[in-house]
Amino acid sequence: MLSLRELQRHFGAALFDSAPQAIMPWICADGLDVESRIRIHRNNLHEGFLRALALEFPVIQRLVGEDYFHQLALVFQANHPSRSGNLHHIGRQFPQFLVGLLGGTRYRYLSDVAALEWAYLVSMGAPEATPLDPSVLLKFSPETLSELRFTLHPACRLVRSAYPVLRIWQVNQSEAAETEIIDLDSGPDQILVRRGAEEVELHRIARGDFALLTALASEATLGDAFDAACGADPHFKVGEALCRAVALGALTEPRISPRAVS
Amino acid sequence: MSAGTVLAPHLSHPTRERPPTARKPRRAGIGLRAQHHLQLLEKRPPVEWLEVHSENYFGRDSAHRRVLEKIRAHYSLSLHGVGLSLGSTDPLRLEHLGELAELVRELEPTFVSEHLSWSCIDGRFTNDLLPLPYTEEALQHMVARVGQVQEFLKRQILIENVSSYLRYTCSQVPEWEFLAALVHYSGCGILLDVNNLYVSAMNHGFDACTYLAGIPASAVQEFHLAGHVINRIGQHSIRIDSHGTHVSEAVWILYRAAVRQLGARPALIEWDTDIPALDVLIAEAEKADRVTEALHAVAA
Repeated sequence: MLSLRELQRHFGAALFDSAPQAIMPWICADGLDVESRIRIHRNNLHEGFLRALALEFPVIQRLVGEDYFHQLALVFQANHPSRSGNLHHIGRQFPQFLVGLLGGTRYRYLSDVAALEWAYLVSMGAPEATPLDPSVLLKFSPETLSELRFTLHPACRLVRSAYPVLRIWQVNQSEAAETEIIDLDSGPDQILVRRGAEEVELHRIARGDFALLTALASEATLGDAFDAACGADPHFKVGEALCRAVALGALTEPRISPRAVS
Repeated sequence: MSAGTVLAPHLSHPTRERPPTARKPRRAGIGLRAQHHLQLLEKRPPVEWLEVHSENYFGRDSAHRRVLEKIRAHYSLSLHGVGLSLGSTDPLRLEHLGELAELVRELEPTFVSEHLSWSCIDGRFTNDLLPLPYTEEALQHMVARVGQVQEFLKRQILIENVSSYLRYTCSQVPEWEFLAALVHYSGCGILLDVNNLYVSAMNHGFDACTYLAGIPASAVQEFHLAGHVINRIGQHSIRIDSHGTHVSEAVWILYRAAVRQLGARPALIEWDTDIPALDVLIAEAEKADRVTEALHAVAA
């Protein structure tokens, strides 16, 4: 007698690896043939994945069309099958998958659009946190200030692209009526994705602000982040940039790095 | 919580004002999908209860979760899981169970349900509801898993029959006997999906009334009603659970038989693909109520 585990492994091989031989003797062949019965579940596997991926990346589907999106989903699924009972996780590697597929071609911008769509979803599902109260900053001396380490608000994501992805995203929303020709050379874009009171918002931010927040997100001190921002924009003004970041609720309460304490 | 105060300013303490959970719904409810979140909050149609897919609301502060908390202030809710994969021999995903437990604590749902099926093997998920072989080993496995979940959640769960397109040569008993034994040994309840029962009965040529007579009526706590499609493959036709159309006339007939055999229970309209306007779902729920009421009138 086949164990339950072996039966499930055989069935899995039929679904994921197109190898139905091992499971076939264990399925009743009355009426409809066994291969057709297995095919129903293989279709479910593909259709369910496709539907979930299309819900996560509606702009990509709109840009490439349903047929090509279907092909993309099949190849992506073969390489990155769902690893969770929660379908909301399936698209995590889709932007990177598109980089591998389209890098070096003129369709490279699609992976950046996918990264923006994924950032949107992550922001939607992120935990809540109290944004930084700007008066907290007044407690620190200028020297200590530069040693502070901030954490990006969990619902904030940073997306950068050489292409005008924010405009591409906007004109490809389902409610967007008019079509618009977008010049792919009208980038680059630096975007902060955040969750407002009612919905997720996308904000185009300055190059220096983006460099500052990126550095802070990777746990740099404010001083080091400032250097990074000045590298990106020689006219960078840290006070104004911090005010803008705080106004967008992008930062949470800072920690003083060990160096500043000693 | 800003959004809440905009939409429902008087509900600063939703936990105090929310509908009670102890009383079982008397009328039919509808499956709530994200498309209808805002409309439901704005119009508050008179549906007695709602059921959601648990996994759609995982993540403590996710945007969907915050909306659901607001909805919970006005409606009784039930949680219907599609991703726990109880029948799978892979280890039970404890982080998934943990998320579910948190949701159960917060929402105090009327029912918590999962499926008589498996979905993953060696870490790969089909996100489909695959049938189990009805063997002694599978029964022991399901009894243990259901027990583990009920212990973790500190409450009874309902197990739903799935639509089936194949049977295994190693099955030792019919599905209704397996389900009855699962109820007996695990103490779970039954969510009887009348559409799934009809689909499986037609696909495998068994009498759905034998199934109804073979499961313990006292364990059945909820009915599901949904639509299916008929696919033709060569000479054969097979019914596929699509959850994308109206409940078919044949399924309404079986629903009457189920209510006569098992008694009236809260029924729920499920619609997951090509989701129609909220009004269409509500009209379908009202139809279920009329069917149930007509049976009571006859009985009285």
